[in-house]
Amino acid sequence: MSFWLTVAGMVTVTFGSRYAGLVRRTELPDFWVRFLHFVPIAVFASLVTPYLEGDLGERGIRIAAASLAALAAWRTRQLWIAIVVGMAVFWLLRIPW
Amino acid sequence: MAAAGRGTAFGRGFWALAPLWLGVIPFGAAYAITARGAGLSLLETQALSVLVFAGSAQFSAVGLFAAGAAGLEIVLTTLLLNVRHLLYGLALGREVDLRRRERPVAAFFLTDEAFGVIAAAKERSFAFVLGVELSLFMMWNLATLAGFLAGAAIPDPTELGVDLVFPLAFLALLVPLVRTRAELAVALASGALAFGLARALPGGLPILLTGIGGSLLGAYLTRGTPPDRTIHADDAAREVA
Repeated sequence: MSFWLTVAGMVTVTFGSRYAGLVRRTELPDFWVRFLHFVPIAVFASLVTPYLEGDLGERGIRIAAASLAALAAWRTRQLWIAIVVGMAVFWLLRIPW
Repeated sequence: MAAAGRGTAFGRGFWALAPLWLGVIPFGAAYAITARGAGLSLLETQALSVLVFAGSAQFSAVGLFAAGAAGLEIVLTTLLLNVRHLLYGLALGREVDLRRRERPVAAFFLTDEAFGVIAAAKERSFAFVLGVELSLFMMWNLATLAGFLAGAAIPDPTELGVDLVFPLAFLALLVPLVRTRAELAVALASGALAFGLARALPGGLPILLTGIGGSLLGAYLTRGTPPDRTIHADDAAREVA
């Protein structure tokens, strides 16, 4: 039940954000417009670093894989290419050569 | 819906978004595979795509479910991630003349990509807006379903280290957003802060606190520069769902 309660909350805040803008005619203060611009950057960054290490003690090769994935993301700007590069590097480095 | 002709306003909207499907399909599939890995059922995974319909928020939510975060933390992180839609709604409300009963529908399906395509297009009717929005909705949900089913083919996700897809996906979403020094500073500071906080605090709290702290830092660093209120189609389309 807790799952569906959480979903209900997610729907409420998401729809609320989408709807509030459509019906309001006011402008946000400059500071908060700039704040909102940085939200995806701050949140996405915070979803990378705590999860990079993993639970299997493969920190080194996971960070190496992520570095090359970041390079691929920077060059191609394609999400799926970055993921494919990252996973391929990770699996290659895992093989006990 | 797929038979939507190019001759109608709805059909023109539907096909105007179609080039973005290429980016939506792998993102939706990656979300579903991650959700499966987090222990969500097909119904739960699909329900998020139908009801919440916000890629980055769904992605972070399943990561937080897996980390055992509290429901309130997940809802607040969702709010933080999706409150930017306020800006799209404000811009759309100015540009498109919507009737009272059309507004909730247009609002429910509003995403970064849809806004980007509408902003770049010349048409401004409700039917066109709905065509654009539902084009993404349909493909996002098909990709979710396909990804979840494909996930069954992955024998032992934990052994294979499939959990690495989660930080990789967010890294790939983050990198194109970082173009200025202030943006780089916020990305680095947020990454370091979240890493530190995750060692001390449970569940989704580190992400929530970092999201607020990092955004405040960014707003502070860019004080004195007027914010860019005209959201460029290109930028919005790049910030995936």
